[in-house]
Amino acid sequence: MMRDRDTQEPLDVDLDDAELAAKLEKTWASRPGFWGAIATVDHKVIARRYVVTAFVFLILGGLLAMAMRLQLSRPEACFIGPDRYNQIFTMHGSNMMFLFAVPVMEAMAVYLVPLMVGTRNIAFPRLNAFSYWIFLFGGLLLWLSFALDTGPDVGWFAYVPLSGPQYAPGKRADLWAQMITFTELAALAVAVEIVVTVFKQRAPGMSLDRIPVLVWAMLVMSFLVIMAMPAIMVASSTLILDRLVGTQFYNPALGGDALLWQHLFWFFGHPEVYIIFLPAVGMVSTILPSFVGRPLFGYLLLVMALIATGVLSFGLWVHHMFVVGLPRVGESFFTASSMAIAVPAGVQIFCWLATLWAGRPVFRTPLLFVLGFIVTFVIGGLTGVMVASVPLDSQVHDTYFVVAHFHYVLIGGAVFPLIGAVYFWFPKMTGRMMSERLGRWAFGLIFTGFHLTFFPMHILGLWGMPRRVYTYQPELPWAGLNLFISLSSVILAAGFLVFFIDALRSWKNGLPAGPNPWKASTLEWATSSPPPAYNFRRIPVVGSRDPLWSEAADLPVAAGMRTHRRELLVTSMVEALPQARESSPSDSVWPFWTAIATAIMLIWSIFSPWAVVWGSIPIAVALIGWFWPKGTPEDES
Amino acid sequence: MDSVAPVKMLTVLGAICLVAIAAVIGWAREPRQYRADPPVSAALDQLRLMPDGIGGTSPEVYFAMGKPYESTGFDLSQGKRLYSWFGCSQCHGDGRGGKGPSFIDGWWLYGPSMVSIVASIRNGRPHGMPAFKDKMTSDQIWQLAGYVRSMGAYSASVVAPSRNDDKTSRPAENRAPAAILFDEGPIPVHPKQGPSP
Repeated sequence: MMRDRDTQEPLDVDLDDAELAAKLEKTWASRPGFWGAIATVDHKVIARRYVVTAFVFLILGGLLAMAMRLQLSRPEACFIGPDRYNQIFTMHGSNMMFLFAVPVMEAMAVYLVPLMVGTRNIAFPRLNAFSYWIFLFGGLLLWLSFALDTGPDVGWFAYVPLSGPQYAPGKRADLWAQMITFTELAALAVAVEIVVTVFKQRAPGMSLDRIPVLVWAMLVMSFLVIMAMPAIMVASSTLILDRLVGTQFYNPALGGDALLWQHLFWFFGHPEVYIIFLPAVGMVSTILPSFVGRPLFGYLLLVMALIATGVLSFGLWVHHMFVVGLPRVGESFFTASSMAIAVPAGVQIFCWLATLWAGRPVFRTPLLFVLGFIVTFVIGGLTGVMVASVPLDSQVHDTYFVVAHFHYVLIGGAVFPLIGAVYFWFPKMTGRMMSERLGRWAFGLIFTGFHLTFFPMHILGLWGMPRRVYTYQPELPWAGLNLFISLSSVILAAGFLVFFIDALRSWKNGLPAGPNPWKASTLEWATSSPPPAYNFRRIPVVGSRDPLWSEAADLPVAAGMRTHRRELLVTSMVEALPQARESSPSDSVWPFWTAIATAIMLIWSIFSPWAVVWGSIPIAVALIGWFWPKGTPEDES
Repeated sequence: MDSVAPVKMLTVLGAICLVAIAAVIGWAREPRQYRADPPVSAALDQLRLMPDGIGGTSPEVYFAMGKPYESTGFDLSQGKRLYSWFGCSQCHGDGRGGKGPSFIDGWWLYGPSMVSIVASIRNGRPHGMPAFKDKMTSDQIWQLAGYVRSMGAYSASVVAPSRNDDKTSRPAENRAPAAILFDEGPIPVHPKQGPSP
């Protein structure tokens, strides 16, 4: 082993555990205080902020849903007027998709992926800090505009010409479009970090076939983000250009195309569903083995199904546009491809069922949510196959049947696993267990509340109740079911309330968890709970797919890392053979200032195109501060 | 320690945000008014014009409302719609005039004030401008007047309407067509505009 010639600082092999921990703590810890917190680039701190912020947005979006249910609870109710209702359903959809579902999944990736692959920080940690601030400012922009009565009112999909310059006066649609730019910028940043972390920073020995399924899922999700999000950023930017500068992208009278919007939007919008769902697949696949006491059945099949879903997800966006009047051949093709996605989804379901079947399930809260997920997602998948067929979709398009379908797949397919994941990883993130008793209550209330709320919506849809109506006439036969749904939604909300109370209480007063309370097999459980700033005292070496099960007694470690600077191990892409020791960036406040400058430019550009010119100057200044050379060597082999 | 600091920071940030939000909400709310209350509508009709019918002061209620018809995107875009629905372009073209006077040449025959323009639309003017008081509601007349003024503004307001999904003959109102297409206009008064107001 080579010793450093140029420095007296010891390598990790020279130190005993306590000394090493103290040295690493000094190197990796963020400074205390306000500016230390702003400047931190620790992926765990940033991910925790991301998760908390996303859950705050979930609560706000949930309150909007309750407001809509109040308005729809009886015919011709007068709680909310049509204009406010338009804003509310648009806010609910945009908020849940862009400010909750995608960010919370990425936040889980930011927290878990570096720990699961056994590295000390995420790749591009300053970009990660920047991403959080941009996400936060985007969310504040949307909610502030809603509070100002200028919330978007064009639906979360903002179809032109309704969202275009002629029919959407004021800045409502622009605020929506710019919020998209904020959140997609944040998402793209995280996606790039995840891809590089997974490909180049895995622990030695963690070859591609030993990566935990959650990490695979996050990797595929990141590629989907990288390929899908540019479409929506182009769409939202061209929409703003049409509205502000008078370009003609969506003006058919001058050679533009209104349908272009729908294609761009759904080319992003359909993969978006899988951006939300695939991380949930990873969570389920990681939670299951810990509670059935055996490795996951069909690792290779599951990984292949993940990748197949990712690829297929780009080939079915047109099924959102079946009633728009496209050629028959196109519709048939997209019916076929939409039904084809049921194949990898089915493979996943059967792998989980086989894992359950062959194991000895212990019914703790995380597993309950996983089971709730399997039931709910299968129902949502079945209605998905139904609306994939053109004749049926033409009937139920824009009715509550579709509302029921996508809440089954989104809440059933993503929120259930997510809450299971929170129960599962909460001990890792905080060092404390959540309450099993409250967890069971939360599951019972959420599961029953969810099905009682959303199942009747299928029936309402088949009875012809359209989406996005702010009220309905008493002569129509919908009043009874709507009242039932509104009452059931209270049960669902109560379930979430119990969950949040449990999380808040356990954060301070939960039982201490210890490093591995679930006896799980992946690397994040090899370190203390919560993990120290440097994640692992010594970089683990992986010899199997379930390292903590096969080598529980003494996990082998790699040695030779320096301790006086932040250093990570870069490994090869397929075999994860060590290649280099690379320095990891230190804390910096510049990502924060860059995010502020970017936010000013983006918001200003809603009002004047010159913002892009003048607003780029502060961004350039902040970026110069960010990238100012420090004179330290970048890496060495 | 490092788990306390972010929480504290979030609390501080949250408090600052809440205060800022409360201030901004109080100051800059932009509610839409879909139908003026009948008493407001009646009050809007009480124009205080000079005896010659040129210039004067808008009714008190207009100031009390915060001058919405010149300053909200919704009212201006409603005005744009009314401009085409009521056939204003028959005489005034795309705002550059035709049989009737232009709105973007910097010359306002009866003065540029809101109350004059409202009076022109409401009561009509000599030499061909019809009265619309029996065809439009009061707030529609005010919306249309606000839009007409926005066409002639030399610096575009951020709330001015943008282009229509249609063929366009001049830059949209949010790009200050009057500044781009500036034309000093007929001084002295164009013969077609009549010898005197």
